[in-house]
Amino acid sequence: MSAVIGPHGTVVDATGHGHDEHHEHHGAPHGWRRWVYATNHKDIGTMYLVFAFTMFMVGGVLALVIRAELFQPGLQFVNPQLFNQLTTMHGLIMVFGAIMPAFVGFANWMVPLQIGAPDMAFARMNNLSFWLLIPAAVMLVSSFFLPGGAPAAGWTLYAPLTLQMGPSMDSGIFALHILGASSIMGSIIIIVTILNMRAPGMTLMKMPLFCWTWLITACLLIAVMPVLAGAITMTLTDRHFGTKGHETLVDRVVRLEKGKRIAALKNVTINEAMFQVHFSHRPLAPGVLILEAMASTRVVIV
Amino acid sequence: MRSLWLAAGRLALIPGTMLALPAWAVNDLAGGPAVNQFNLHPPASAIAEDQQWMHNFMLVICVLIFIVVFGVMFYSIVMHRKSKGARAANFHESTTVEIAWTVVPFIIVILMALPATRVVVAMKDTSSADLTVKATGIQWKWGYDYLKGEGEGIGFLSTLDPAQREMSNAGKPQGDDYLLKVDNPLVVPVDKKVRIITTANDVIHAFYVPSLGIQETALPGFVRDTWFRADKIGTYYGQCSQLCGKEHSYMPIQVKVVSQADYTAWVEGKKKEAKALADDPNKVWELAGLEERGQGVYAANCQVCHQPNGKGGNGVKPLDGSPVVLDPDKLKQIHVVLNGQNAMPPWKQALSDTDIASVITFTKNHWSNATGQLVQPAEVAAARK
Repeated sequence: MSAVIGPHGTVVDATGHGHDEHHEHHGAPHGWRRWVYATNHKDIGTMYLVFAFTMFMVGGVLALVIRAELFQPGLQFVNPQLFNQLTTMHGLIMVFGAIMPAFVGFANWMVPLQIGAPDMAFARMNNLSFWLLIPAAVMLVSSFFLPGGAPAAGWTLYAPLTLQMGPSMDSGIFALHILGASSIMGSIIIIVTILNMRAPGMTLMKMPLFCWTWLITACLLIAVMPVLAGAITMTLTDRHFGTKGHETLVDRVVRLEKGKRIAALKNVTINEAMFQVHFSHRPLAPGVLILEAMASTRVVIV
Repeated sequence: MRSLWLAAGRLALIPGTMLALPAWAVNDLAGGPAVNQFNLHPPASAIAEDQQWMHNFMLVICVLIFIVVFGVMFYSIVMHRKSKGARAANFHESTTVEIAWTVVPFIIVILMALPATRVVVAMKDTSSADLTVKATGIQWKWGYDYLKGEGEGIGFLSTLDPAQREMSNAGKPQGDDYLLKVDNPLVVPVDKKVRIITTANDVIHAFYVPSLGIQETALPGFVRDTWFRADKIGTYYGQCSQLCGKEHSYMPIQVKVVSQADYTAWVEGKKKEAKALADDPNKVWELAGLEERGQGVYAANCQVCHQPNGKGGNGVKPLDGSPVVLDPDKLKQIHVVLNGQNAMPPWKQALSDTDIASVITFTKNHWSNATGQLVQPAEVAAARK
């Protein structure tokens, strides 16, 4: 008796399906598994776009409240601290929650189609990149409900104002760390896809501009996201562990008696025009530079 | 030629003034915002005039380029559309065109950059100033110290008028100088080069007076500068332009430019005032005296956040019935006022020992608090160490 051996060594009939094999290994997952375990660029792209649209609505509501308040002079709806929270969160949500994911969503949808690739590279990491956005967005938006309200330091999060914010600042920093990780992973995926998975004959010079712009953007993101991560980590340690990452304007502390005496060094470059101000043959530090060095040093003494 | 550019800018005002909005019963504020203001503030210094000229110059160039580019585009789209029988030209590239459309914009950019660079270099040149004033950004007021020139040694704080702050809370703004009036304006003589040195006490602020054409960030730990030479006598308004916390919108700048004679008289007056106000740090005060002084300090500095009834709110702690205020150990409250906590800024630089002692005594004996405690200025001075 002859038998047709199918996959996994099971006995199959002529149609190629095992008798008691279910169709688990054929056909895509359905229901929630389709989305949570997604690996194809179209589904992931769709998820990014739906997420971006939702965050656009949330950020938009914040903008509408700002506009309602600004319509007439005087405070009508919100107090000044809440107003600052609204402007900060509108900025952060729109940039990190709406614009960046929307563009990544377009990249996921369009790049493989435009370069003739079967899918994006690193399909499961692509999925992780998306799903990381959900807890990050929850942390960012729910910061309104933490004691003290959402961060109100402006979306540029300048120190030292960030040191005065409540726990929502830390939750926002954590959310930005996660968003940054997602961006970096997504950028790696895009670069590998564009450089490695173009169909034969699709040279870089034939590639549509959209792919080119995403190739460059992805390189920029990989360069810049770690810098942002470093800066917000500095903010975090400045807030909780007494570091002076955002305040260290001297280069070396030579002698320190905490609260009493300090001697520190501040490096400057000799070829700056300001040194010739008094005597052109004798470079001399101007008074304001000395004052500034003193002001910077006083931060360390406490 | 120059007046043509200025006129071009002013022409734009005409459609602006035709917009009729519901009247909030305000008028133009000289040196500040105008009703339905459409253009930049009227310049009160040569640099501000240059800035306005630059703005109009760039705007006209942009409009011309806009007309040319979109004109050609719309003409082509409309007059050469397919339904009219147009057929697309059949060529691929033209190196000549590519070179032309690189070189021409490059030249335009250089022509725009030349006058702009001249103005920026002039804006940066703060040398040979007649008067030097340090403007310190503090949460949430400005501190002015006259460092060099006539008036050296004068120093004072400049805070928003408290009545106007209340108006904001009530949602009932009034007056043409709403949220621009301060108690002690910066006074400078006309036609003298004034150098403004900016720094900050706590967070980043920015010193911005558009009529004079100046804006400079005020950073803690940094010393930056800018300068202006006011052409006309008058009062010019500006605001803090870097987010610095809750009351960022409530720390305006008022610069009063006066004649040289008036300035000399003002300097004399200020010096006399300073002598009279100098507090003896070792004076032993009575409760009634401290409470009265403290009430004034509270109204000018604390009630914005802690409210006139001492109940706080919106995250601000109440003082009425507060455990820190009622605590028999006075140092606890002194420490909080000197050094701040969380959103409350430190007051050790903004207020003197006598002011701090009086306001603490006031809070300890007002509303429902009746501790009978007295804080002497000497105790505050000791706590600073």
